[in-house]
Amino acid sequence: MNLQIQIDEKNNESFVHLSGEIDVYTASELKEALLPLTMKKGHLLEINLENVSYMDSTGLGIFINALKSAKEHASNLKLVNLQDRVHRLFQITGLNEVMDINTTIRGVDG
Amino acid sequence: MDTREIDTRNYTALLKKYIETQDEQALYGAEQISKSFIKKNILPEEFVNLHIQALLEIYPDLHDKIKPSMHFLLEAMISYGLAHQEFQNLREKQLAIKSEILVAARMQKMLLQSKIPETDELDIGVISVPANQMNGDYHHFVKGKDGTISITIADVIGKGIPAALSMSMIKYAMDSFPENIMTTDTVLASINRVVERNVDPSMFITMFYAQYKPDTGKLYYSSAGHEPGFYYSSRLQKFKDIESKGLVLGVNPDASYVQDELNLEKGDIIILLTDGVTECRRDNQFIDRTEVIDVIKKYIHLPSQEAVNHVYRHFERLQNFQLRDDFTLIMIKKQV
Amino acid sequence: MMNSQSCVTILKEWDIVAARQMGREIAKNIGFGTVDQARITTAISELARNIYLYAGEGKISFNIVQSLDTKGISIKAEDKGPGIKDLSQVMEDGFSTSGGLGAGLPGVRRLMDDFDIISEVNKGTTIVTVKWLR
Repeated sequence: MNLQIQIDEKNNESFVHLSGEIDVYTASELKEALLPLTMKKGHLLEINLENVSYMDSTGLGIFINALKSAKEHASNLKLVNLQDRVHRLFQITGLNEVMDINTTIRGVDG
Repeated sequence: MDTREIDTRNYTALLKKYIETQDEQALYGAEQISKSFIKKNILPEEFVNLHIQALLEIYPDLHDKIKPSMHFLLEAMISYGLAHQEFQNLREKQLAIKSEILVAARMQKMLLQSKIPETDELDIGVISVPANQMNGDYHHFVKGKDGTISITIADVIGKGIPAALSMSMIKYAMDSFPENIMTTDTVLASINRVVERNVDPSMFITMFYAQYKPDTGKLYYSSAGHEPGFYYSSRLQKFKDIESKGLVLGVNPDASYVQDELNLEKGDIIILLTDGVTECRRDNQFIDRTEVIDVIKKYIHLPSQEAVNHVYRHFERLQNFQLRDDFTLIMIKKQV
Repeated sequence: MMNSQSCVTILKEWDIVAARQMGREIAKNIGFGTVDQARITTAISELARNIYLYAGEGKISFNIVQSLDTKGISIKAEDKGPGIKDLSQVMEDGFSTSGGLGAGLPGVRRLMDDFDIISEVNKGTTIVTVKWLR
């Protein structure tokens, strides 16, 4: 399965809409799309994960990388609309405590 | 007469025989001769050339349209010959890489072998199988002078060689900590600082670290974002997740951890695992943690080592004998 | 021994064929057999197509060369194109062919006996390769 990355940039905000699976195969593409957006000072990067049905640990690593980069460059990273399975990954790893994660919606298959 | 001449003669004789009789035996001969040509690294264009020479010998007055057509074929074979040589070269390279990895995997195995400590109190079983040759999962047991048994299970993001390299770092860092005088949360806080300093920004490690104290019968533990294990209470005959909050290693150098404890009674069981166990896919569907418990239940009456072996075989089969991720499962039964 | 030189300018795809033809003729005159003629011609094709595809313009020239005991054909491919940044990478098997670009430079090296390449980024590339008569 593939990952579609759609980016809308407005002034000092970027909205990234992801759909598909984030795994070893799609992670590097995602990394290349996200990292530059975290390097602008004061920029807000909001990532919508509503249509992401699966993420593995490599995918999680990309978000950790983005978080570190956002901290370093004084930008803001926000994740919204996580499916249950994906949200659970952030909970287990304790990342939900150090990242801005908003509104969980239910997984497509319940 | 050199071998090339012998080959040409044999080939000409076979071809002649086949043209005359069109029998299967000559075709079998063709198969044999082509195998011997492959062994001698004879390229397709040389083969075609040989065919042209043979034809000309059998039919010196070969039809003047056939000759250029054979030539045409020869030209077309050049690229096939090149592709063939390239594949051969790549195959040799691949063999070299494979044997190099094999040596590294053996070294890693030696470096990371962890003997299950001898104790009458606990029956411990462990299985750890890499998806590829190198393992990105880590487990380790240590029995202290006071009888304390410490248990570590860790999962490095990704798999293969990069994961295996990071794992050696964990091993040396863990070995350098003073024996059992640190609480489980301080062990994780220390290892986290080591990991954070030494890994790529998108790399992280999850770890569960526990100490069993025989004098109190208590298990103290902390988790750094590791897949929760299971606790089976023999009194309640129920499974429960071993939940413990804590950030994965390598994200924040100042992360702090909490130490939780469990009172182990006779017959209680602790199950620790890496997400290679819960991330097993069956027909592209992920299996549920409750399914993992169901499988474990089936073998729980067995001695721990046998039980984990059976559980592994179950999931191995479920994935058509092709692990997608490194798989580590530890089972600890309180005996007395 | 005469030192005849001939060359073909590569601009259009059609020029690849002209280079092949000239190279084959020279190889034949030197005394190469049909298999080696085919190999030399394929190498010329590969070099000319590289110029056509990546540099846009360049030339292929031929020389008859002589050693103590034999003679051979020397092919020189020159362009002022973008150059090659990582030479060891393009000379590695499986690199250019994976994109379906053909035999690539490792192929040329295999088809010929001697092979030398000089390349500078943004300045161009010169390849000299020789096949000896056995």
